[in-house]
Amino acid sequence: MSDPNELSAPGDVDLGRAWIGVAAQVWHRRPGLVERAAAGLLRSPGLARALVSTPSLLVPWLLASAVVFGVGAIVTHDTSAPVVALLAPAVAGAGIAYAYGPGIDPAFELSRSMAVSDRMVLLVRVLALFAVNALLGLAASALSATAAGIAFGWMVPMTAVSALALAVATLTRSPGVGMAAGVTVWGLTVLGGQAYSGHFATAVRTHSLYLPYLAVAAICGAAVIIRTRMERGTA
Amino acid sequence: MNVEITDLTRRFGRAVAVAGVSLQAGPGVFGLLGPNGAGKTTLLRTMATVITPTSGTVRLLDRDPAQYGPRREIRRRLGYLPQNLGYYPNFTVAEFVEYFALLKEVPSARVPRAVAAAIERVELGDRARSKLKSLSGGMLRRAGIAQAIVNEPQLLLLDEPTAGLDPEQRVSFRSLLRDLGTSATVVVSTHLVEDVGAACTEVMLMADGKLVFAGTPAELTAKGTDHGVGDAPLERGYSAALAEARS
Repeated sequence: MSDPNELSAPGDVDLGRAWIGVAAQVWHRRPGLVERAAAGLLRSPGLARALVSTPSLLVPWLLASAVVFGVGAIVTHDTSAPVVALLAPAVAGAGIAYAYGPGIDPAFELSRSMAVSDRMVLLVRVLALFAVNALLGLAASALSATAAGIAFGWMVPMTAVSALALAVATLTRSPGVGMAAGVTVWGLTVLGGQAYSGHFATAVRTHSLYLPYLAVAAICGAAVIIRTRMERGTA
Repeated sequence: MNVEITDLTRRFGRAVAVAGVSLQAGPGVFGLLGPNGAGKTTLLRTMATVITPTSGTVRLLDRDPAQYGPRREIRRRLGYLPQNLGYYPNFTVAEFVEYFALLKEVPSARVPRAVAAAIERVELGDRARSKLKSLSGGMLRRAGIAQAIVNEPQLLLLDEPTAGLDPEQRVSFRSLLRDLGTSATVVVSTHLVEDVGAACTEVMLMADGKLVFAGTPAELTAKGTDHGVGDAPLERGYSAALAEARS
């Protein structure tokens, strides 16, 4: 009988290969429900992984956004002031500024050499963030008739502020600057509306402002598209 | 040929980083040498499809990287280790390598095994489930190399890959390079001349944006036989070739 302390593999077993198989099982990360659903929807496990890694889609950020909207909903309900409508663009702009870019992704240079393009990652993250913030805003608006009445009034400026924050974050390569730009410009817009008409809600209730908001969104969107092109050689 | 570059020039504003470089490379390990600011990193970034040339033509893996579809195909077969690779501190080594395997569109079913194999090849198996923030500089560099090779690339571009590795790890890494170079084109940009002598089949020397020498390590060594400054024969060849280019 052989000594059990001197066990050895049969000659035809490649221990290295066997170990890789074991390690693959042990180290493999099981994707969560959201990631699996996103992979199916986007038809790209890489894009899904990039999406669930978005800093401003992680649980702490989402909780913070929900709390802000929740407080806004309570204040709106109690005072009839449209706080949710005024908060939504700022919260979305802040989240979108932190979606993607050299200032937020430590491995951005490497990401730009990947088969899943950095532009696609940016697009998916921005759309997801916009959708999440729109849903949170709508849920908060549903708690008060005042807010519900102008739900689509804040969606248009939210688009503009989000695009502005993203454009500034992309151009300056700093999510903090992008967020500050979005929040500041929106704050000035609200204050300007209040100074002009005496109502804080002017910025979200005035239909004639929708066209300028959409123009800002389009210009900022174009700036992002140009800035995220592959770095061109200058002639 | 896996790499075919003709008269490549790359400017940043008024500065010319790469000036009229032409080269061809098939399988093998190619050392890219040169002083700081010679244009090595810009050339590597162009080959990594991160930046486009100002003028000249680039073909990688028989495809045109200027077109979206071919570029995506190239990137699936590309491994790239930038000089300054950032890390996600809360990812484990396995998660980090897996993330880039997915972004390189390695088929999902093959990802776990590819990740395990890449981690084992850089000898980080015992730290596979450690968070990146807990690793030393040399270990992080090896994690970076693991992500570069996870898709078994046909074109592997490594910018200062041995920075931070200890002597034992560097010897092991050179062996890995030789192994990879049997089937892929491996381009290694480095300041460490001894790495080139030990691992590379070909050497390219850049100075002031130009390719001033291309040949074998033995041919570069021969340039320093009579003159040149350095402690080792290849170093003397390197300094002699640089002096010749600048004269």
